[in-house]
Amino acid sequence: MTLDQVFKGNSISEVLELLNQYKEDAKIIAGGTDIIIGLRNGKITPKVLIDISKIDELRQIQVEENKIIIGSATTYTQIVENELFDTNLYGFKKACRLVGSPQIRNKGTIGGNIANASPAADSIPPLIALGAELNISSLRGNRKLLLEDYFNEKEDNRLRADELLMSIEFEIPKKNQVLGFSKLGLRKALAISRVTLSSLIGIDDDVNIENIRVASGSIGKYPMREREVEEALIGKRFNSEILKIAASSLQSSMDKRLVGRSTYPYKRRAVVTLFEEVYKDNLSYFNEVTL
Amino acid sequence: MFIQLVINGINYKVDIDPNMRLIDLLRDKLGLVGTKEGCGEGECGACTVIMDGESVNSCMVMAFQADGSNITTIEGLEENGELHPIQKAYMEEGSVQCGFCIPGMIMSTKALLDKHPNPNREEIREGISGNLCRCTGYNKAINAAERAIEILKEGAKNEA
Ligand SMILES: Cc1cc2nc3c(=O)[nH]c(=O)nc-3n(C[C@H](O)[C@H](O)[C@H](O)COP(=O)(O)OP(=O)(O)OC[C@H]3O[C@@H](n4cnc5c(N)ncnc54)[C@H](O)[C@@H]3O)c2cc1C
Ligand code: FES
Ligand code: FES
Repeated sequence: MTLDQVFKGNSISEVLELLNQYKEDAKIIAGGTDIIIGLRNGKITPKVLIDISKIDELRQIQVEENKIIIGSATTYTQIVENELFDTNLYGFKKACRLVGSPQIRNKGTIGGNIANASPAADSIPPLIALGAELNISSLRGNRKLLLEDYFNEKEDNRLRADELLMSIEFEIPKKNQVLGFSKLGLRKALAISRVTLSSLIGIDDDVNIENIRVASGSIGKYPMREREVEEALIGKRFNSEILKIAASSLQSSMDKRLVGRSTYPYKRRAVVTLFEEVYKDNLSYFNEVTL
Repeated sequence: MFIQLVINGINYKVDIDPNMRLIDLLRDKLGLVGTKEGCGEGECGACTVIMDGESVNSCMVMAFQADGSNITTIEGLEENGELHPIQKAYMEEGSVQCGFCIPGMIMSTKALLDKHPNPNREEIREGISGNLCRCTGYNKAINAAERAIEILKEGAKNEA
């Protein structure tokens, strides 16, 4: 490792000052579960490390009006233990519960998952399906960005060296909406085969799909919206008939995106299984709740 | 740089290198070699310690991040020369072969039982899912956890 100086951040303003001072020479550390591996194998060589894991304002889950705001240094364990995510947000809790192991969930943070920007980051597809936004700050000012726009081909929306991801926020889904999540391939050693799917589905009084957002992880170069299947399902009656429609439109997306890659046959099959599980989760919520 | 922390109930003020991880501090600097390093990548759990009430991989924490925290390692479980109930249970159930994974297994089990004193087998399995064992396997580790729960309950009864 190449570190000369390490700082235990006590406040957000102190961290922003340090980032501004050291810029490219500095890196944030939250849970450390991604960055320590990079520091050890020499993939990254910062001179300065700034710890944000003890800053309370970054470790809070807050409800403000119709929104949930999650501080960037919130751990998976904090999400799993919070009852806000027990009912129609269960898909988010499920994604967090399936991360790594207890030790990884006790340290690993949502902000680190996003900032690290691995295609296989499990918390991201449910947050994209929720329409989540990122709050990013630096001494130059603040910016707000849709999470789904954070990941793009040009990578021009990514965090700059002097920026801190502050929080992630999204509107609390209404009672007639539910978030589902499904994941295949559990161990990190098999991260290449790890694929995820998440959907937020809202139904109207006639049980037709009124709104829908679907997002995938590890199926492309980065986590992304799956718009083709959304368009195929909007307005359809929410019953098992949609499984066939979803399968063919998801597979058609795979055909366009992945042909020629070694993972194509596996992922083409996997998306169908994933959607079936998400559907089952959604169905059991709609069966239990009286709208 | 100096950091201050509590390990197994003892206050330490130690001079650390910025590049040190918590496991390096424990083993190389303080001689607490009960904590093992297996993979060094967060996969095997051999380096598990309890930090501020939660199990963590000490290979995935930088030493400076532990400033001000309270840490328990396998060396801290014994009390007045008596093994901790989880340690006794591992011996009674024959859950140890080479032993390399055991300190980590026991710390994960302790972290679980501290939070949920009465887990079922599935919950125990999940609780030690971040700990790999190449020889004994997981059923004996789960048996040991169940036995430990019994011993802890007997202890609580005797105290009452
Ligand atoms: C054994 C193991 C299993 C794992 N399993 C999973 C899994 O199942 N699913 C999964 O998605 N991931 C998994 N991971 C990866 C990792 O745990 C997650 O990505 C985790 O969320 C990273 O968070 P962290 O706080 O530990 O990040 P860190 O390692 O602290 O940081 C990661 C990166 O983000 C930057 N960063 C962190 N926070 C901020 C911020 N607020 N602002 C700006 N930059 C920031 C850091 O500078 C660094 O570049 C696993 C890792 C290990 C070691
Ligand atoms: S040595 Fe830390 S998890 Fe393997
Ligand atoms: S007893 Fe040898 S690795 Fe578990």
